[in-house]
Amino acid sequence: MTVDMSNVLCTRSHEYIIQEGDVLKIGITDFAVEQLGDIVFVELPEVGTAFEKGDIFGTIESVKAASELYLPVSGKIVEINEKVQEDPESINNDCFGDGWLVKVVDFKSDDLNDAMYYDEYKDFLEQEEE
Amino acid sequence: MENKRTPLYEEHVKLGAKMFPFAGWEVPLQYSSVKEEHLAVRHNVGIFDVSHMGQVFVSGNDALSYLQNLVPQDISKLVENKASYSMLVNEDGGIIDDLIIYRLKGRYLLIVNASRIQEDLSRLISMKNSYDVVIDNRSEELAMIAVQGPKASDLVEAIGISKTDHPERFSIKELNSVLIARTGYTGEDGFEIIVENKDAVDLWKKLVAHGAVPVGFAARDTLRLEASYLLYGQDMDEQTTPIEASLCWAIPRDKQADYAGKAIILNQMQTKNVKKKLVRFKMLDKSIPRHDYRIYIENQDMGKVTSGGFSPCTNTGIGLGFIDSKEPFAEGTKIDIMIRGKLHPAEIIGKPVYNRK
Repeated sequence: MTVDMSNVLCTRSHEYIIQEGDVLKIGITDFAVEQLGDIVFVELPEVGTAFEKGDIFGTIESVKAASELYLPVSGKIVEINEKVQEDPESINNDCFGDGWLVKVVDFKSDDLNDAMYYDEYKDFLEQEEE
Repeated sequence: MENKRTPLYEEHVKLGAKMFPFAGWEVPLQYSSVKEEHLAVRHNVGIFDVSHMGQVFVSGNDALSYLQNLVPQDISKLVENKASYSMLVNEDGGIIDDLIIYRLKGRYLLIVNASRIQEDLSRLISMKNSYDVVIDNRSEELAMIAVQGPKASDLVEAIGISKTDHPERFSIKELNSVLIARTGYTGEDGFEIIVENKDAVDLWKKLVAHGAVPVGFAARDTLRLEASYLLYGQDMDEQTTPIEASLCWAIPRDKQADYAGKAIILNQMQTKNVKKKLVRFKMLDKSIPRHDYRIYIENQDMGKVTSGGFSPCTNTGIGLGFIDSKEPFAEGTKIDIMIRGKLHPAEIIGKPVYNRK
């Protein structure tokens, strides 16, 4: 699946957000995937759970370690990607497409203000490296 | 303190390794994918830079009686060119370090953990007393490369060491200035080749040129965990006895010579009166146990995971841990691991999840 990267917002904790109408699709960035390595387990919340911005909404485990997932917006989980729970490697293969994690509704649009466009995020990563 | 670098540091960087600090050294965590590196060792052959480990030679007229006094293993039965797994134990039976002792011509070689070299040397020196021995720590001048996997022997032959010169399993050979041991930490057939620092890069490059897959410390950990090899500092420490750590197989009952902790260790072996007991388990769901997670039995907190992770060969979470009980738990006993506030089902297993055919 090809994704128009100009619609992708990213956070400093390496989650991404793609807005599709009233729904936000959330996943982890290609940079996060590269850092994690082989992903072998994903724990996602139950549909219907409400979270505040910055709450831990799940866990991703690679062969090496467990990493927590932070929700970049306040809102309610309307759908989880059951396919990545069956096949965690799909996150390694296509994090922005088939490897999405959750969809959120009833979010606060203001919460998106501090997210970066993908190009800005790339610059941010370069600065981090220095 | 600045981390030390092995003579192969530049090679790791060139291969694109992610480096990380381990036991005072800067070592490769992974080169590409941990899973692929792991499976390369299981199905083909991988190489590891294990130059961080310590090599201490013991020689002199009293070398044998000195070592007999130092470790539970019966070194009087160790013949030339053979290896023996043992441990340094303190007066309370606690494990100072685990090690392999190789008997060479006229001297012994002790290979010890990098994280414990200082404690090991202190112990070796404090136990010297009036023994006529020379303790020669050559850890800083020697490099070591492990070649592991079903194709290890073919690879070693390909770089110019003919199979007639290969040591047998759990043995060692001295070929000119190279020491080649048939030992490892992966559960596979393989070698550990010890060379002078200056010769390490050449050897490494030759192995890579002949198709060996470089393997980092992350896969080294998943490999040893599948084979249920213990890691010092996680699965054992000075508060753990060899009996608690299920190392009875390395404690001869009939050894005549005395050694530190002998009475306590033999007593524990006989009475089975221990404070805790090592268990080996696998998860029954898809979750992954990690170091320090708690172990529950019938909803009671009974101990903790000391090593845990994902097993690429079985696609399950597996682990080692200690249960605060002197009773051994039978194979098949259901336990739970507390992971992020929830209990996840697991089961005690009798054998390691990986056994070489």
